[in-house]
Order: sequence, then structure tokens, then C-alpha cells
Amino acid sequence: MYALCDVNSMYANCEKVFDPTIRNKPVVVLTNNDGCICAACGIAKRMGIGKKFIPYFQVKKELAAAGAIVRSSNYELYADLSQRMMDTCARFAPDINVYSIDECFLYYGKQAAAPPQGWHALATQIRHTVWREVRLPICVGIGPTPTLAKAANHAAKKVEGFAGIAILDNKEAQQAALSQMAVTDVWGIGSRLGKRLNAMGVHSAWQLANRNPTLIRKEFSILVENTVRELNGEVRHTWDTVRSDKKEIYSTRSFGQRISEYEELRSALASHAEVVSAKLRKQKSLATSMTMFATSSPHDDEGYFKRSHFHRFTTATNDTRNIVRVTEEAMAHLFKAGVRYYKCGVGLMDLHNESLYQHDLFTPSNDSPSLMQCLDSINGKYGRATVHLAAKGFEQKFAMRRAFLSPQYTTRWSDIPKVIC
Amino acid sequence: MLKFIPIKAVAGIVGFESPAAEYTQLSLDLDQLLIDHPSATYIGIADGDSMVGDGIFSGDLLIVDRALEIKDHDVVVANLNGVFVCKKVNKSQRCLMSSGDNVPPYFLQEGDIFQVEGIVTRSIRLHRPFTKSL
Repeated sequence: MYALCDVNSMYANCEKVFDPTIRNKPVVVLTNNDGCICAACGIAKRMGIGKKFIPYFQVKKELAAAGAIVRSSNYELYADLSQRMMDTCARFAPDINVYSIDECFLYYGKQAAAPPQGWHALATQIRHTVWREVRLPICVGIGPTPTLAKAANHAAKKVEGFAGIAILDNKEAQQAALSQMAVTDVWGIGSRLGKRLNAMGVHSAWQLANRNPTLIRKEFSILVENTVRELNGEVRHTWDTVRSDKKEIYSTRSFGQRISEYEELRSALASHAEVVSAKLRKQKSLATSMTMFATSSPHDDEGYFKRSHFHRFTTATNDTRNIVRVTEEAMAHLFKAGVRYYKCGVGLMDLHNESLYQHDLFTPSNDSPSLMQCLDSINGKYGRATVHLAAKGFEQKFAMRRAFLSPQYTTRWSDIPKVIC
Repeated sequence: MLKFIPIKAVAGIVGFESPAAEYTQLSLDLDQLLIDHPSATYIGIADGDSMVGDGIFSGDLLIVDRALEIKDHDVVVANLNGVFVCKKVNKSQRCLMSSGDNVPPYFLQEGDIFQVEGIVTRSIRLHRPFTKSL
């Protein structure tokens, strides 16, 4: 059996943990640089405000009128609370797989017998413990496969009557929950697949579960077949596929203020290149393609400017020096005098496993794994960008804009909460 | 021209290893001593003199544990109407007791927002203020 524990509106509810003044108010959280809304708490959702991915400036007045509390993303706080939530959930199962910042799978073994108190009581206990000890509201879904646990979690959250907990341990419960679930809400079924399935008359998750898996494989792929089998209680996902390496790695961000200097854009790109290189090494991959882009804001009056540049490495690499060097070459394509840049980014694609990659006989790699390892361990120990290439520059003018940032209650001494005596 | 094989000279001198090297793991860790439930524990800072009778002074650090069951007369941190307060709970009388001079107990009323946030398991006095800025 698998349990999926997932925090409701993670970012918005993290803001409430150490600020009792906003516990009963609508809270919305903005993305990097306060650009768009990325999370809204239950109260805000019920009021119909704080729709995801809407630019903040478009709804600023509406939010103020509704008395909403607006916050910038406080990643330091969210990361710490996420860790606490995972540690707490881990106490309730022999095995845990952290799936994202706000969700984890708990694994109880194949054909696990129900715990003495029953699955529902166990789920209730997890939910209450996380609320009591971390002050975050979670939903728990339990099912015999990861896909059914995900579906159970969806039901727990969205279907009335479940109140945060759903157990899909028998066919009747599965039919009841899956019939009420759109096929696009099934784990792994995106909107494009959903359209094709809809055209075949498959609208609900239950209809998908009743398709012949072999025919589905012919029509779609083994991945969709696996989903169908998982919906029927046959485990197809392994921990490895649940936690697969990223197929591409991006680092992008909008600037705090518009920038128009050549040097500023160049050092911003170099800085993103350093970030993606470090991430690439962390998952022990090599990249053979790289893309870079720089744009002005579509909301500015000057007109929209967007340029991108693609580079293919002759030899797959994960050496920061090789990756940063390419940003130099890209500048000729991306920079135009007079443009007020709003955002830029670097992406690595076509990633290969470091240990399995077949190198080219005639163009040997000039990567220096030992130098990179040294760089990573220094930065790991003393903080990001303690050692970096000079190309990134020393003065970061494009640091994130976080005008509505809450204190780092748990990670900075000067920010610990005040208690009135 | 004579070719050199570039092997760096290495001096074969190493000092004696410190006899204490094996014991460096034993240095004391305050977290380990003071914090029983790391993922459920928070640190706050006291502000005010209403709890001096329990040895909590303004500026003290409070270690707050959310994992413990609350007992009568525990020193707790609670959310009282949107403010974190530090008080002693009296369950039978439904009131919050202070221990400072002439501070009356606070009886919970209908309409009050009240949630216990955790139990103050330890408090730390700074007999000399910090010299470093926090």
C-alpha cells in the first residue's frame, strides 16, 4: 500500500505558521520577483481570489479590496517547513519517497495488511500529527499503487465528503472515486493525452481504468498502459521512476529591475549557467544541448523583444567553465542596445547519465571532474556561489525582488518569532 | 636535449597524528541536549515581564515543543487572538496564568481565538547580552 501526503496550498499555509495575525485571513503568495500569483490559501480560494499564474499587477486592486494578505515567496521558510513535514510523515511508514517540496509517498510493502487501527485511522493520525507538530494542513490518500494513492489524494482534496482523507483499498471505493475524477486529473495524463482520450470517449478516470491495457499501449505508449494497470491495482511504478532524473534543467528569473547594460545581462546569464551546471552535476548527468534566452516584458510599452540562442556541445559536458563560456557566445545574439530586459534564462537539455555516456574518440572531453567536485564541495559547505567564475560578476544587481517577504522564522536568528510575556 | 620525466619531489615527513583525533566526535551539542523533537520544535524570543516568576525574562530564548501532550500548569506558547503569548495554562478554570508582579489571570471568553502552539520545555537566559548581532 502507498500513502500520498500532500500539503494544501503549501506556500500560502507556510506563511500562516508563524504569523497568527493572518491565520484567518485570505493569503496569496507571489512567484519570483513578485510577478504572478503562485499560491492562495483555502480562504482566498473560497473568496474566488488569487487565481494561479495571474500577473500580480492585474489583480492588485481586487486583492486589496478583498483584504487579502500578499506575500513574496519565502523559500528559506518553505524549505525548512517542508523538511519538518517530511520528517514527521516518515515516522508513520517503513519507507518514504519525497516527491516534491509539498508531497511525499509512504510505502507499506506489497499487499500490506491494514494496520491494527485500520487505514483510515492511520491516515487521520498522520494528518493530525502534521497539523499539531508542523501546523500545516495536509491531505492523505491511500491506495495499492502510487497512481491510486495520487487519485485518492485528489479525491481527499477535491471531492466533498472525504474531508482530507481517502482510502481506495477496494474496488467499490476505487470506482466511486475514479468515476468522479476527470481523466486529465490522473497522474501522468496531461492535457494533450487527455484530448486524445476524450476523442475516444474516455472522460473519467474510471473509464480509463476499464480500457484494455494492451490496446492502450498500441494506441499510446507503455507509460499510459502502466497508468491503466496501476489504476487497476497493479504496481508498475518503482521508486526510481517516481523519482526520475530531470530531462532538462532550467534556471530562469525575471530581474528585480529592468536591465539594459551588456555587462549586466552577460553576468546574469553566467550566473544562471553556474546554477544549471551545479544542478546537472548533482544528478550526475552530462548535457549536450543548451538554450539561452533574454526577453523584455510583454507588459512594457516599448514592444516585446525576445531572442534565444541554441548551442550544441561537440562533447557532452557538465563543467561549469564550458557551460559559462557558451553564454559569452550567445550574448552576440541576445543583446540589443536599448532593450530593457525583463527576464533571461539558461536551459540544459539532452541529458545523459554521466557513467553510461559514450564519449567521442576524436574530441575528448576537457571537463575537469576533480575541479568541479572541489567547487561543489566548497559551495556546499560555505554556501552557494562562495566560489564562482568571474564572468558572473560580483555585484548582483538583479537579485530577486521580494517586496512582501515574511521573516525567516526558523532559519535566521534575527527573525525568530516574538512571544509576548 | 635531455628529456625530464616530470615527477614532483615529495618529502617523506609527516607529523604524529594527534592522540585525541579519534575523540573529536565527542564535543557537546546543545541541540541534542535541549531539543527532544527536532522537527516539532521552534525557538522564540520572550518579550515582557509577566512570566518572571517562572524564570522567564524579557529577551530569553524559548524552546517550544509541539509534539508533547499538554499538562495542567505547563508553560505554553499560545495564539491568543492573533498574538503569540507565553502563559501557564489552568485547564479546570479555563484561564491563562501569569507569574509576574500583579498580573491577573486571563479567563478565556466566548469568541476568543485560542490555540496552544506548543509547550515551553526550556528557556535560555542571556546573563550577558550577545556580542554578535543576530
